[in-house]
Amino acid sequence: MTEEERQARFMERLERGEKIEATDWMPDEYRRLLLKLIHMHGVSEIMGAFPEKEWVPRAPTLKRKLAMMAKVQDEMGHGQLLLRVAEDIAAPLGKTREDLVTDLIDGRVKFHNVFHMEAPTWADAGVIGWLVDGAAIINQAALLETSYGPYARVLKRICAEESFHMQHGENIILALTGGTDEQRRMLQDAVNRWWESLLFFFGPVEVTEAARKMIQYKIRTKTNEELRQQFFNKYVPRIRSLGLTIPDPDLRYDEKEKRWRFTPPDWKRFSEIVRFNRGPKSRDRIRLRRFAHEEQRWVRKAMVRSGAAQSVV
Amino acid sequence: MNHGDSGRIQYDVFEVFVQKTQADPHVHMGSVVAPSPDMALHTARENFLRRESGVNIWVVPRREVTATPYDDPDYFAREMDRKYREVSGYSENGRLWKMYREKAMHLDDIVRDLEEKPLRDR
Amino acid sequence: MRVENAEQAAAHPAYRKALADLLLQLADDELCLGHRDSEWLGLAPDIEEDVSFSSIAQDEVGHAVFFLERLQELGERDPDLLAFQRPPDERRNAVLTERPNGDWAATIARHFLYDCFDAVRLEALLDSGYRPLARGVAKIRREEHYHGMHLSLWFTRLGAAGGEARQRITAGVESLWPDVAGLFSLGAYEAELIRYGVIACDSAEMHRRWEERVRPAFEEAGLVWPGELPLPERDGRRGEHTLDLQELIETMGQVHHLDPAAQW
Repeated sequence: MTEEERQARFMERLERGEKIEATDWMPDEYRRLLLKLIHMHGVSEIMGAFPEKEWVPRAPTLKRKLAMMAKVQDEMGHGQLLLRVAEDIAAPLGKTREDLVTDLIDGRVKFHNVFHMEAPTWADAGVIGWLVDGAAIINQAALLETSYGPYARVLKRICAEESFHMQHGENIILALTGGTDEQRRMLQDAVNRWWESLLFFFGPVEVTEAARKMIQYKIRTKTNEELRQQFFNKYVPRIRSLGLTIPDPDLRYDEKEKRWRFTPPDWKRFSEIVRFNRGPKSRDRIRLRRFAHEEQRWVRKAMVRSGAAQSVV
Repeated sequence: MNHGDSGRIQYDVFEVFVQKTQADPHVHMGSVVAPSPDMALHTARENFLRRESGVNIWVVPRREVTATPYDDPDYFAREMDRKYREVSGYSENGRLWKMYREKAMHLDDIVRDLEEKPLRDR
Repeated sequence: MRVENAEQAAAHPAYRKALADLLLQLADDELCLGHRDSEWLGLAPDIEEDVSFSSIAQDEVGHAVFFLERLQELGERDPDLLAFQRPPDERRNAVLTERPNGDWAATIARHFLYDCFDAVRLEALLDSGYRPLARGVAKIRREEHYHGMHLSLWFTRLGAAGGEARQRITAGVESLWPDVAGLFSLGAYEAELIRYGVIACDSAEMHRRWEERVRPAFEEAGLVWPGELPLPERDGRRGEHTLDLQELIETMGQVHHLDPAAQW
């Protein structure tokens, strides 16, 4: 079979709605796009553990402490699931878990803009759980239909767990809005801090070449802007119903065009944050991952060594 | 397993199978990487059963798994009529029993009746 | 002496006092260690372990909540206030549990040494005359089973690996050794706790049973037994603590103290 015929047969499989598996033949382009997307998704979960992890030791009640631990644990668990999927895609390229994490430390893979930002108050931990996770859930739910089978399967599990995160985040927010003036002020400040990051999170309005390709390969089915509009639909009314202000005086629903009009985030600043790890917390958090991965390589080496000795006995 | 002879660490991939109750078969849940099978069992528990319950876990080195190919759908071809070995192939029994003023019997009824009343109490 | 519930315990002030002190020891050990464990979130040497270790941290804090709830039944403040508002001299955890984590080897060593002690202590509480405690201990012991298994695997494998890992775990054990004996203290009311049948064995016996469990693991790990446990400098069970605990409590209470009366 020629390369063109294989490619054509692959596209027919996608058209029939078939799922692709790790051991199937796939075009290099499909493999590369998939790896880029899932690798970034996986390392974002792992980097996403850090802003909330900062609040575990300081969580204000025992219940919050436990829930926050469970939440951060799930993020790591999602990272585990996604990295396993990425590792199998990357295996023919000779890459393993070790390499995929090293790529993050060396800046060869990006992670979501929101995890480059500061979370200076307890209310930030709440807003991350509520709005950042809310945005992530919309993103992930839209990927459930993806053409790559292993990704679809882990997303199912991830989305199920995210539904606990949603409740957890909302619960913190509802406690703060029902609390003192100071607590409400803290929450409003956090919403102000996160709004622009949240808009950027969904990516540029225009459909980039890579995004077009991903839609063509049915890796994803929705555009960035469709997902961002979905976020507005779901969250703008809720944010306002709590008496919170959204820091965009021009945000409004355009009845004629059936879409939300918004002030665009500073695309340039955020894309530089993501591309060059130039956010306020990028370096600190990469340093933490470097500690976990590189400075504890001795642990993994030791465990492989004594584990192997064990299986010989 | 490559144990660091080249200075490169290589955890093995283990496929994880979980049995929810002893009335269930082991079901594939995903995979972990681990330095040894016993550690794979330990981490599989928390990576896949931190919410659900279970009674047994298997971890199987990925390289020990032999599988059918996905891109050969004919492997699973069943094209001809095989109603003769399915319940749905015997729907006429109901009509025939009616002639004898009886109803067709189904496994579900038997199971339900057994569950309702232990035999010794009848 | 068999005491069925908190009301019966409260009717006997000397009994209640000794029991409350022991419950604080249990709660504070688990809370401190769970808090320390949670500092590893996102930082464990591999991702799978990150998830597993976090479950252990959650279990420890969960157990602390159980003991704090028993205290509340005895008429103490609610569990959050007990956890967040007591100054160091009212804390009853062993000093070993308040120490910072150190590296992964020291973390594993501390947790392993503690878990062996905790198993011994829970065993001694299984038939506690204070029935609400005995019932909870039965459950907690089942959860601790995984901890014991997991930590002992880590401890023996790191040691058996030799090289840097063994050096680090040896160094970890050495740094912890001066605080270990503090685990066995039963505080100011040891005699009463034994006499009332709240706990089945005294601190000397717990020490002996602990050593019985720990020594074989040292052997399996290829580690040299560091010798007699020195007498502890401070008895955490009598409220004698280090600055490490002071810092831990301050961190833990940071948000809570913004407004202790608010709902969070």
